[in-house]
Amino acid sequence: MELLDNLSLGFSVAFTFQNLTYALLGCLLGTLIGVLPGIGPVATIAMLLPITFHLPPTASLIMLAGIYYGAAYGGSTTSILVNLPGEASSVVTCLDGYQMARNGRAGAALSISAVGSFFAGTVGTLIIVLFAEPLTRMAQKFGPADYCSLMALGLVAAVILASGSVTKAIAMVFLGLLFGLVGTDVNTGAQRFTFDIPELSDGIDFAPIAMGLFGIAEIVVNLERHLTRTGGTIKVTSLWPTMDEVRRAVPAALRGTLLGSALGVLPGGGPTLGAFSAYTLEKKISKNPGQFGKGAVEGVAAPEAANNAAAQTSFIPMLTLGIPSNAVMALMVGAMIIQGIQPGPEVMTKKPDLFWGMIASMWIGNAMLVIINLPMIGIWVKLLTVPYRFLAPAILLFCCIGAYSLQNSTFHVMQVAVFGILGYVFVKLGCEGAPFLLGLVLGPQMEEYFRRAMLLSRGDPMVFLQRPISLGLLVTTALLLLLMALPSFKKARKEAFVEE
Amino acid sequence: MNRFLSKDFLSGLMFIGFGLIALYFGQKLALGTPVRMGPGYVPRMLSLTLIGLGALVCIIAIVSGSEPVERPKWKPITLVTLGIVCFALLFERAGLIPALVVLIMIASLAGEEFKLTEVIGNIVVLSVLCTLVFKVGLGMNIYILRGVW
Repeated sequence: MELLDNLSLGFSVAFTFQNLTYALLGCLLGTLIGVLPGIGPVATIAMLLPITFHLPPTASLIMLAGIYYGAAYGGSTTSILVNLPGEASSVVTCLDGYQMARNGRAGAALSISAVGSFFAGTVGTLIIVLFAEPLTRMAQKFGPADYCSLMALGLVAAVILASGSVTKAIAMVFLGLLFGLVGTDVNTGAQRFTFDIPELSDGIDFAPIAMGLFGIAEIVVNLERHLTRTGGTIKVTSLWPTMDEVRRAVPAALRGTLLGSALGVLPGGGPTLGAFSAYTLEKKISKNPGQFGKGAVEGVAAPEAANNAAAQTSFIPMLTLGIPSNAVMALMVGAMIIQGIQPGPEVMTKKPDLFWGMIASMWIGNAMLVIINLPMIGIWVKLLTVPYRFLAPAILLFCCIGAYSLQNSTFHVMQVAVFGILGYVFVKLGCEGAPFLLGLVLGPQMEEYFRRAMLLSRGDPMVFLQRPISLGLLVTTALLLLLMALPSFKKARKEAFVEE
Repeated sequence: MNRFLSKDFLSGLMFIGFGLIALYFGQKLALGTPVRMGPGYVPRMLSLTLIGLGALVCIIAIVSGSEPVERPKWKPITLVTLGIVCFALLFERAGLIPALVVLIMIASLAGEEFKLTEVIGNIVVLSVLCTLVFKVGLGMNIYILRGVW
């Protein structure tokens, strides 16, 4: 069995001391930022990108992946215990998790969420294993025109599943694409939008941009809103759920896992969307929906399983096609490029140890997280008492040092400041940063494929409609855009995000 | 008047602005032909699309209205930006510790509460931590205090 060979290769890579250490480090960091409000996985991964330069490729990707799903775990702890979601993906967990805690079932809620997450993470990892090869094989048949259309579909879909105005989000994608053009033109060597600044001739690094847009702007907004933490901490008694709770949690977690896995693969999907949809589904099919919001076990089990499953499966488009589906995946693409790996179908064939090692380590990481989260719960809760006035300057400092170490130049620190201001303007105007970042990361590749496709077709744009793969992708893109214009769909989409 | 100070209308203006800037600075780049595109072809396409989308966002905002912009508070954004700029200017010239002290001081002023003893405590903890992690641990080639270490 080829699959088993691949998996055993993966586990042999993941079980080295070095990679286990980095997986643990990533999970710990992820849990930490998951617990702390005011800093998310995007800003953290951007801060750590420069440091990963010093690490071997496999270890650095394992660590960054750990931060991502660790954050999904950690965020739920604070949702349940203090009614404060550490991450957007655990906002729904607050609704019933905190109520369960108030009913004296905090321990049960925590263990249901941890075990459900672990189960979902395992299923998500299995799905990656099963789908990675066929998808990669399919991607290898893609020509430049197909790739260009695939990226267009990815970008449009990402916009539709994000919240907020669609027109604005599409404009943000284009703005990101435009920023991606800065630097030397690959085909002719001409300088574009570099304003004679030598540092810009290699293009704008996206790590300072991500730090500015997601780190600095977030801090400033929190300082404005005067982020305070209230709410008494709830004592955790027994971690064991009752038989009745188990009976209700198991099917809910199963449904959440399936829904989350499916939504995670979609561009623009990911943990947050998975959790929201799973909660809505449970409420709809429940025999007594009145229980929801008062401590329903299903309302904890389903979204927690869904957000973790989605965190895992959102790796699929990135690993197989090289197309990031959300902001974190865009940074993972960046991390690979820093290591000299071009994400896409070649990763699996040319670097099987990295590919399978990373997948195996995800499962190990999920197992570690159960251990980190359950017995050590007290430590994480204590961290919540650290006031934001200590955290904000520290996060700023790490952003600055991280940006500097990218290329040992203070120019990048200045970039963080500039994009911090831009990010602040975006927040004030209600423009989302994620579509911008996706456009920025995909921009250079997309231009490359576009120009190559046009060259091959001798300047005939019909090539995008003549190739069947490309045509199919473009038709899907057009359908999605049409769907967006329908009033009924608009309404449903608004409702789906209303609780955010 | 409120209609023009809404989030969406101003975002539309921002998109148009960026599009115009790109158009202006990209005008010298050769366009080329669709077969052999010059460096200016894709930028021109993108900036024109962005201007179009910006105009669309503006029109939608005027026709159907949108939320008004929250009044910005100038203190946090100004002080945070100032802190980062000072850090950038001091880091290579003076070293990590002076840059860190200035950044933390300015950033702490941006918050609502400022207690000098707490800030000093924060500075000490972060100085030790950063020195250990970045200089000793990762072996980065940086000055802790220029001329001393």
